[in-house]
Amino acid sequence: MGAYIVGGSVVKVDRHFEYGYRDLAYKALSSCEVCENPDYVVVASALPELMAHQVDVGVHIVQWTGRRVPVVRVESGESSGVAAVEVASSLIRSGAARKVVVLGVEKVTEYPTYIANRMYSLILDYEFEVLRGVSPPVYAALAMKELLRDGFSRECFSSWAVRMHENATRIPHAMLRFKISVELFKDVQVLAEPVTLYDSFALGDGASAIALSSEPSGYEVAVEVKYSSSEVGLPAYSRDRVSELAASTKLLKQLGERFGVDLRKVVVELHDSYTPYPIALLHSLGYIDIRCELDGLDYLNLSGGLKARGHPIGATGAYQVYEVFKLLTGGFNGLSTNSEVGVVHSMSGPDNLSRVLLLRRWK
Amino acid sequence: MRLSVPQFWRVKESLYKLILTKCLNCGKVSVFKRSTCPYCGSPKVVHEESQGIGVIESFTRVYYKQDSSEDRLPEVVAVVKLNEGVRVVGEVVGVKVDEVSEGMVVEAVLRRYASDDPYGVIYYGLKFKPLKQNNTR
Repeated sequence: MGAYIVGGSVVKVDRHFEYGYRDLAYKALSSCEVCENPDYVVVASALPELMAHQVDVGVHIVQWTGRRVPVVRVESGESSGVAAVEVASSLIRSGAARKVVVLGVEKVTEYPTYIANRMYSLILDYEFEVLRGVSPPVYAALAMKELLRDGFSRECFSSWAVRMHENATRIPHAMLRFKISVELFKDVQVLAEPVTLYDSFALGDGASAIALSSEPSGYEVAVEVKYSSSEVGLPAYSRDRVSELAASTKLLKQLGERFGVDLRKVVVELHDSYTPYPIALLHSLGYIDIRCELDGLDYLNLSGGLKARGHPIGATGAYQVYEVFKLLTGGFNGLSTNSEVGVVHSMSGPDNLSRVLLLRRWK
Repeated sequence: MRLSVPQFWRVKESLYKLILTKCLNCGKVSVFKRSTCPYCGSPKVVHEESQGIGVIESFTRVYYKQDSSEDRLPEVVAVVKLNEGVRVVGEVVGVKVDEVSEGMVVEAVLRRYASDDPYGVIYYGLKFKPLKQNNTR
């Protein structure tokens, strides 16, 4: 039995001070026309205990929406959203449910940014990394320094951010819908040398609802979840190189070997929390060399990526899946592709864990 | 964020010492006291304490704010390759931030991590300081 994405809806990634996690979830759910009457709800959220003081967030969301449907919450750090789609697909393929709604939701603006930064850093190992002063930008900086030593230019990373911002101008739900230039990097705030604020994702609140069904024929459009896989990598401090994203590289290579996936020919959303990571990944996969030319990768992060669409941590994967679904089935806001295949890549931390989904348009 | 005293106490061997885990199966050495090898998963491991001396392989000056105070910023976090051949990441202190360099020889020292202000517990752990100023390898 197959699992098919048949529709979805997203809330603009932003600082929604007027909405709590329940409001955001309800907004996404209520504007998703095909999300009615699921057999199961899978909620993806990474930080509700820390940011909203709420345990069992899935139950409280479902109760708030007036439903009595079974719910489970999936937490897998930054990759929670894609993990939830994996769980939903499994529920359908096993026959346990015919229709499942994945609901990615995250509130990150309940406290000042420095507290959100502290909470976000907990995607790393608290006892072995966080207590020692290691945070996600530290690894991004160490990774960028390795790539600079390899011969990549600073402009390579800046250009990624510029491209993501440009892509995001066409995405209605993107957080940063404005263009930036490479020149701006000279004066921007440094997070961890040489990584700047513009090399980092945009942190925002968000919610995304996606409906999956075992019976796509009754829906206007459908995209099959053809394949999903995940891999745990070594801790960054145990690798020869921080920029060695072995788990992500392995998974994306497998898509090429098993399904003939060429990232130049498919819609692809790569996890770009910090600019060195997509560059390192595309390099290790052989798509770019140190000249960093992204020519031919026309459908790469059309959403603007985590960099500019924004990164509502545990909900981000559900945004990525929604965006690829939309781009395979007509597009949005005048943005469309002629590809029938899409790839979603998500990871938590610097490749501590990586997930990929292969999606194929069914109708 | 208040720290947990039992949690700190429990992991004291990783916070106060640099314990290495040697795998008897694959032969690789990893940092911290572990019951299994992170490379091959084998439980056949032995532990030994590092001398705590190594060389800075790479480092970054960090301005990422995680505290209401910016007093400690920037701080330097480095990848240190220990003499035993194992890498560990940690903060570098006892030297001006613009004087840290790759190749600098450093040693692990016990320093303050945090405290439950104003009258609470003070938490200590390992950081790195130059073994001898301007001593590079």
